[in-house]
Order: sequence, then structure tokens, then C-alpha cells
Amino acid sequence: MLEVRGVEAAYGEARALHSIDLRVGDGEIVAVVGPNGAGKSTLVNVIAGLHRALAGSVEMAGTDLASLAGHRFCDHGIAIVPEGRRLFPRMTVRENLELGAYRRSARPQRADALAWVHELFPRLAERSSQLAGSLSGGEQQMVAIGRALMARPKVLLLDEPSLGLAPIVLDGVFDAIGAIHASGVSVLLVEQNVDRSLAIASRAYLLTEGRVTMEGPAGELLASDEMRRTVLGL
Amino acid sequence: MIRRGLLGFGLAYLALAALPFLRDAFGFPVFYLVFLSTIWFWTAQATSWNILSGYSGYFSFGQAALVGVGAYTTAVLVGRQDWPFLATLPLGGLLAALLALGIGALAFRLRSLRGEIFALLTLAVPFILGSLARILPAIDGGQGITVPAPDAPDPIGGFQELLYLLSLTVAMGALATAFLVQHSRTGWALFAIHDAEDVAEGLGIPTFRAKMVAIGLSGLIGGLAGSLFALQIGFVTVESVFGLTIPLFVIVMCVLGGRTSWLGPLLGAVIIVTLQDRLASAGFQGWSLVILGSILAALVVLAPDGLVARLRARAAPVAAAFVVPFVALAIVGFGDGLVDWLAGALIAAAIVAFVPVPASLARSVRARVGRPTDRGTAAEPATQRPPLTTEPLPAPPDAGSSGPVLECADVVKRYGGLRALDGVSLRIDAGELVGLVGPNGSGKTTLIGILSGALRPTSGSVQVAGRPTAALSAHEVAHLGIARTYQIPRPFGSMTVRDNVAMAVMFGRRAMSIEAARDRADRHLEVVGLAGRASHRPSGINLHERQLLEMARALATEPRILLLDEALAGLNPAEIDQAVEVVRRIHASGVTIVIVEHLLRVVNQLATRIVVLDQGRLLAAGEPAAVMRDPAVVRAYLGRLADA
Amino acid sequence: MIYLQAAVAGALTGGLFAVMAVGMSLTWGMLRVINLAHFGLILLGAYLTFQLATGLGIDPILTLVVSAPVLFAVGALMQLAFDRLGLTEFNSLIVSFGLLIIIVQLTSNVWSADFQRMDSDVNPYATEAVTIGPLAFPVPTLLAFVAAVLVVGAAHLGLTRTYPGRALRAFAQDRAIAAAFGIDHVRLGTLLAGLSGATAATAGMLFALGNAVIPTAPFEWVGIVFAVVILGGIGDAVGTLLAGLVVGAVSGLVSVTLSPAAAPLVIFSAVILALLLRPDGVFARRPA
Repeated sequence: MLEVRGVEAAYGEARALHSIDLRVGDGEIVAVVGPNGAGKSTLVNVIAGLHRALAGSVEMAGTDLASLAGHRFCDHGIAIVPEGRRLFPRMTVRENLELGAYRRSARPQRADALAWVHELFPRLAERSSQLAGSLSGGEQQMVAIGRALMARPKVLLLDEPSLGLAPIVLDGVFDAIGAIHASGVSVLLVEQNVDRSLAIASRAYLLTEGRVTMEGPAGELLASDEMRRTVLGL
Repeated sequence: MIRRGLLGFGLAYLALAALPFLRDAFGFPVFYLVFLSTIWFWTAQATSWNILSGYSGYFSFGQAALVGVGAYTTAVLVGRQDWPFLATLPLGGLLAALLALGIGALAFRLRSLRGEIFALLTLAVPFILGSLARILPAIDGGQGITVPAPDAPDPIGGFQELLYLLSLTVAMGALATAFLVQHSRTGWALFAIHDAEDVAEGLGIPTFRAKMVAIGLSGLIGGLAGSLFALQIGFVTVESVFGLTIPLFVIVMCVLGGRTSWLGPLLGAVIIVTLQDRLASAGFQGWSLVILGSILAALVVLAPDGLVARLRARAAPVAAAFVVPFVALAIVGFGDGLVDWLAGALIAAAIVAFVPVPASLARSVRARVGRPTDRGTAAEPATQRPPLTTEPLPAPPDAGSSGPVLECADVVKRYGGLRALDGVSLRIDAGELVGLVGPNGSGKTTLIGILSGALRPTSGSVQVAGRPTAALSAHEVAHLGIARTYQIPRPFGSMTVRDNVAMAVMFGRRAMSIEAARDRADRHLEVVGLAGRASHRPSGINLHERQLLEMARALATEPRILLLDEALAGLNPAEIDQAVEVVRRIHASGVTIVIVEHLLRVVNQLATRIVVLDQGRLLAAGEPAAVMRDPAVVRAYLGRLADA
Repeated sequence: MIYLQAAVAGALTGGLFAVMAVGMSLTWGMLRVINLAHFGLILLGAYLTFQLATGLGIDPILTLVVSAPVLFAVGALMQLAFDRLGLTEFNSLIVSFGLLIIIVQLTSNVWSADFQRMDSDVNPYATEAVTIGPLAFPVPTLLAFVAAVLVVGAAHLGLTRTYPGRALRAFAQDRAIAAAFGIDHVRLGTLLAGLSGATAATAGMLFALGNAVIPTAPFEWVGIVFAVVILGGIGDAVGTLLAGLVVGAVSGLVSVTLSPAAAPLVIFSAVILALLLRPDGVFARRPA
């Protein structure tokens, strides 16, 4: 489904990613974990077309997207739930969701998609006409996920969905990720919360200082000492 | 340097002031005096604008307000009250200066003043003054005021000669002032404001004062020249002084000439006035504004640095392109004489100055001439840097003191509904090296901003060296002995690496001259291993070096306590090791350090104590190994992995 | 009664300021371009109306059929150029200042530096007035008010109800994320700048209906229109309308109570206060 090969990226002269290879198969949940500043967000941004790679390819179902303009990535079935939510704060919940379905091929199924999002997060139906900027952190996260789902993605990219959320709210978010996965959407989950993300993922990658330093079944990574060392710096 | 410069201005003034008296001897037409008077008027106006807007980057659209105040002061007092003109001249300057200071006092107090807002603010002022002049019969009342030409004192001759000498005096005074400001502490402060204002303030530069000095001088010069303008036009109306043409001309001149030097406005004025004059005399005045507009639009896009910067890079070719056509045109006797030759030569010189040269050609020429490039474009690889000196650093002034150097109590910072910090209390003792860590978004950078005085807490208090900082501005907090670096390096882009550091020394707790500051700056650059890059521009060094520059600059303020915000982000392992070594040495010299870093292995190695923030709260603090075993910390980083 | 007349007549005239300001405000708020050349487009619109009505005898209002598409194209092309050059907000101000004076000079070369007024036989609106009870209003100002309500209403509906409009608002709030959901900022920016050009044509037409046109007119508009944009809140269409009406009414009232020359004093003092105290706009309601 999603195949990343040899991706290099930088911010100005600051190298962020070194030759990253990563794969998300059909119907998989894949986690990318690692300490702060390891390049996880950069990787997600490259896949979503928010940040241009210096080298390498990002393929969706065999088509290389790396040379496309940023706004064309979503046409190929990629949608992002960005770090820090990044909703359109001065627009209503409803408007935020509908903008998720902006791309032409998603528009006809807008009503279905909206119904699905409301089923997943009934809270959002109640908050429909409220400004997104006035919601609580957990509700904002729901809108961010809902907005991405409105684009009818084949692969959903989630960047630090746990950031700043209370544990009980987090449970709801992870339940929703499970449900989304069950409906047939592949998920690439980037998290600092190692425990939570590895519990839900089938495979995982450990990213350290811009390189993949471990990959394999989620359970294996969870049990490894290397993981603990890297993330806690011990 | 300054003395020689002033001597130069004095000699130039004397030579130019002799012109009217030589007229009989050489028999040149009075038109030349009129032409030069116009140049002097615009030189003064452009210089007035440049001292504030060019040097500090706060663009003003309100130049007409200064001209208007000067012109109406003279017009009312001379035209209606029969004052002698010369008595009104200083008054016009003074009133304009007061107006400018008033605007500055209002605008520069705003913490969130952006360039566009200042530009619009100044755009509104001439409208208000014009409206006042129109409704108040004591000023204008709507009919305009005639300004009778004063009698020239005996040796000067006629009115044109008098106007020429007065304009020359004001213009030369303005240029000398701009020169002095440029080379003064205020000038350096203004350039630092232009490049990165909040960084400047954080390094201890009193930015508000510098801006007030600049706007006051700008007002004084603008008002003096405005007063002369009344004399020059002879009939003052609201339209003639409060219109938008004056700011337009002034801005075009400065953008064309270059905004970072006193010379820029002069060059711009000479070129634009000559161009205007020739176009008018050739019957093309209908195109002069089209040309001015095109110059402005094209320069902002293509060559925003202006002529002065180009002159520095290509002095000889430009000079040749000026002299050769001038002589050639003179020999063939082109056009109407001097002004036509001048126009031709200026155009040739400007073309040579601005036409882009292919990079390959420039490089081969430079290689042959062997002159170092101004910007130091091709930075050599970092490995060629000389090894760090290993001798211990000199101790900072307050080394050896003990007890708390930095304390904060119950600090809360809210952005809208978001609580970035939620009641943080922290005490840091002299000699500590504290690692501040926490997940993304836990409030580390916000805390650094509040501790350094750049941000104000919503509630709670901060004390540096026992003094509460609530009532202090950021540069005063800096002078208590606190310095910070930025996660993304923010050097002063228009200055060399050495001068970046010298700024911090010069405006540090022990003020000193730029020359003395440069010597000390070199020592600080050695400490971080950047001595070999001292004369490069920040754009010519790599990220790692820019981060070291951040450290050198912070160190140069001689802080008691240094806050390092992710100073190692984006570096490769070798660079990280080197930077860690630098941090160690700074700490060993007696500076207390707080380092924010997400590479926990680095923090664990360096820190004597670790403080963990999570969701804006203090989660844990203590000795590194113990904190990293704290279940709450492990959970914040790993989730429940710890229990598994 | 004289005060009521002055205030209402002023508010109607304020409609013209609102039409002038709305395109400026939206391109500024959405595209981060401070386009002073917008005033040049208004001037061109006024001259196109004058030329087509005087030269070909077309009804001045119908000249929009020509001038609106022409200025749509000019505005769109200008935005494409700005976008290609990647200008900062501040540099756009300076570059478009240059463009404005080029336009002013060119119109002066074509139509002379003198006042040009449409004759009453081609412009029947100039001399008519509508009386409502004791109040009388010139038709051009009434038309300006109607046009302001229509233009601002259309802009508001467009921004809140249509996909491109919502996409523009989203783009103004977070460019990168908007792009990630397929929003093409070049296309939308060009569209908005084109529509803004069309509103400039409308404003120019309305100005020419009631006034004589002169190439330096933009310099008289700059101040008042900036006042309306800033008081209304940058990027806020409805705020612009409210601000235009209030500025117009205040001008009208000050003109009667003090003197017409005092109006700028009051309005620009208000602008300075607004910039200092509420840089986001006084009449800004829910920002776009």
C-alpha cells in the first residue's frame, strides 16, 4: 500500500532523516516510535506532502508521489492527523470536517463520511456549529481525526495523537483508531507513548536520530532493552 | 575613524559651500544651484527617513508629517507673524522632533508592534495633521500661506544662494548625524533591531531607547528640511506638504541607494533628482513616476540591499562605469552640459552596479584578484576547524557566588484557553547544570522564555539573583546576568560572526566600545571554536556553527546563568560531542547552566540535576539516574512499558 | 433632522468605501498580500466606465460587463506574479506601491491630469435623488450602498457556504494543513485576487457615477480605505461593511457639526487608536 524508500529530509542544513525505508501493508497498523526529535514528525510530514524530501520515494499503490505538489498527495489516499491537531480554529467543527472532504473525489461521499465520523465520535455531532478553537483538547483530537477520515483515505497518518491528552481521553482516541482500522483503513501511527502505540500496532519501527534503528513485530520491540535504552537515554 | 569621517564631512561642506561664491569666477548658470539645492533637500529628507526606517527596519509612510510640521511652522511664523526665517528653522525641527517622539512613545511601547502596523500608523498621521491644518484658521484654514523670500545677508548674494547654503547645511548636518549614529552604540542597536529585535533585547540591548533616539533625530532632520521646503516652494498648502509623494520619493531613494549606510540616501537622492530633472527637461515628465515605480518594484524584488552594498562588492567597475562615460560625454559635448553628463554616467554606473554577474564569472575574477568574498559563501567543512583550546576559561564576574541565582514560584502561562505552564516552581543554585526535559509540548521553551524575561507569566513570579523581574524589561533582566540561546539560531544576519558576539559584549553588563568589544568577542569565539569564522556572515556558516555562535553570543553577556534551548538539535554525533565539550567548559568556568535537550543520553551525561516537565507541570526533579528511574517519568515517556 | 440627513447620507456614501475596501481586506487577510495596487485597479475601473460611457454611449452601470472581466484578469495576473515572486507581506506593500504609482501615471498620460466627468446625458444617475419623507439621497450614493450590501453579502456567502470560500478561510488559518487536504493555494489565490479586481471595477464605476475622476484620486482613497479595512478587521467582509457605514456616517456628522475638513481628523485618530488598542479590528465580529 504505502512504501517509503530511501527518504532523506532536512530543515535547512539540519539533517532530520537519513535514508528511511518503511512500509505500511494493506489493513495494517504500523507504529513509529522514538525519542523526541528523532525525526518522527518529519517522516509523517514527508509522507503527507507537507515537507519535501531531498531524496527517495513515497509510493502509494505503486505511484511515486515525491515529485507531486503538496496538495496532490491526498488524491492518492493519504490523510494526516497532524501533531498538535492544527485545526482551523476559527471555523466550526462542521466546516473543519467538510474541508477534509475538499478533494473532488471525496465530495460525493461527504454525507456518508460525515455520518460515519459522527457515529465514531457522537460528541462531534453535538458540537457541530461550535468553533473548533473553543473545543477541549480531546474534542479537538476527534475533529482532527474526523477531518482526515472525511478525505476517505486508504492510509491514515496519525502524528502524536496522545499529545497533551488526559489518560481517560486517550482511551477513547485509541478505541477510535481501532475502529477505523477495523473498517479497512491502514494506519501509520507515530507516538511518544510507546506502550499505547505498540499495544495496538502489528509492526513497528524505532527511529533514533533520523535513522531506523529497529523494526519488527510490535511485541518484539516492546520487549527489547534497546527500546528502553533509546527512549529513556539510560 | 569617526574623527576622520567628520573631518571629511567638514571639508566637503566647505568645498560645496564655496560654490555660490565661485559662480562669478566660473560663470556657471544659477540653474546648477537650484538643481543642487533640490538634491540637498531630498538628501536631508531621505536621511531623516533612513535613520529610523532604514537602520531599524520600521518603515514609515509618515515622512510627510515631519515635512508638514516644519513647513507650516515656518509658513505661519514667517508668512503671518513676520518672524525672521532663520528663527523659525530650528523651531520647525524641534516641533517635528517632538511629534516624532510622541509617535514613538505611543507605538514603540506596544509589545506586539509589527512592521506593517507601524507603517499604517505612520500613514494615518499626515492625514490627521493635514485635516487639523485645514480646519484651524490659525494654521492654514484652507487657503494656503505665502512665504515671502527672506533677504539674503550681504556676502551671500541672492535668494537662490541663500537657499542653497541653508539646504547644504541641513543636508550635510543630516549626513554627518547619520554617519555618527551609524557608528555609535545606538546605530549598532538599530541594526540589531532590524535583524532580530527580541533577540537584541534579550542580549541586553535597550531597544526602546535606541528607537526613540532614531525617531527623534529623524523628526528633527525632517522638520528642518521641511522648514526649508516652505521657503523653496514659497506657497504652502495642505496638498503640497501632506501628500503621498514625499514618502514615495524618500522610500524610493533609500531603497535604491541602500538602507544600511548614511551614504545610501545621498546616492539615491542624487540619482532620482537627476533622473527626474532630465526626464522633465526632455519632455518626458509623464513617465517619471512610471520609472520611479518600476525602480521601486524591481529593486525590492531583485536587489533589496541597494546600491551601497553593490558598490562595496564592485567598487572599481562601478567607479569606472561612472567616470568613463562622464568624461566621454563631456568630450563629445553631449546634450545640455553637466547635468546631462551626470545623468548618463549615473545610469551607466547603476547598470554596472545592479546587473547580475554569472556566478562562475564572478568566481574566476575573484580568484584572480584574490580578494576574500564579503559573505564567505563557501564555508569549509567543519572538520578543518582548529581544535579547541584546552586552557580553562576566564571566570565570569560573579563566579564563586553561591545560593539561588534563579527562582520562579507558581509560574502560570496561558495562551488563550491553553495552559502552557501550570504552576511551575523551581530554584536553581549557583554552579548547577540543570537538564530541563519533558515530552513535546510540555512547556520547556515557554519556561525558558519566561525565565529570560522575554515572556511575561500570566501569574507567578521570577527572581534572578534575588531580584524580582516582573517590573523589568527584557534587556534589564539580561543585565541581571541571564542569557539564552534559541532553538533555531537567530543571528543578526547583516553582521559578521564577530560583530554578532561583539553586540552582546558592547551592550553587556559592562558597557564598552565596539573596538574593545570585538577583541573580547574573538576570545568568546575561541571558546566555542569559531575563531576561524569571525569575519564570515551568519549566512555563510553551517547550522552547527550557527548554534555555536548562539552560545558564544550568550556567553559574551557574561551571564551568571545561561539557558540553552535545544542547542544540539539537528547536529550529527561528532558535532554533538563537540558541543557537549563546549557546554562542559562553560560550566567549568563558573557559569550556571540550564539546558533543554531531547537527547536524554546527552542530558544524563551532562547534568548535575534533572527537572522534568509534563503538560506544563513539574513532574520530577533530582539527580539524573534517580529521576530517570522515577515511575512517573518513565510513564510520561514510555507509557506503561515500565510496568511490563 | 439635518443631523439625521447627514448621518444617513454619510453612511450611504460609506457603502462606496466598503466596496473599495472589501477586496483589499480579503486579499490581505487570506493571501497575506497588502495590495496598494488595488487602488490603481479602482482608478482604472473608474476610467473604463468613463471611457465606455462617454465614448460608446453605454449606460455607466452596464460598463461593468466589460470592466469587471478586464480587472478580474488584471488582478488575477498580479496575484500570480506576487505568488511566483514569493513576496513577504511587507514587500508586497512596497512593490504594490510601485505598481500603484505606475498606474496613476499611466492613467494621467492617457486621460490627462484633469478632472473627467461623465456628461449628464450619458450618466442620468448623477443628478437624480430619491426622497424618503424629509430625507433626500442622491442616486449614486444609494447605488453605492446597495452595491456594498450585495458585494459584501456575496463575499460573506461565498466564504461561508461554498467550497472554494471555505478553502480560502482554511488556507488563511493554516496553509500547510490546507494543502494536505488538497487545497491548491495558487488557484484559489488567483480566483480571490480576480474577484477582488472585479470589486475594484464596481467601486470604480460607483465612484465615476457620482464624482469627477482624476488620476491622483487613489491618494485620497488610500487613507480612508485603510481606515475602513483596519476598523473592520483585516479579512472580515461583514466587518468591512459595518466599518464603511460607520466611517461614512461619522464623516457626514462631523462635516455638519464641525467642518468637512475635520472628518479625517476624527477618523484617523480612531484608526490610530484601533491600531494601538485592537489591531484585530474594532468591528470584527467572528474573524474569518
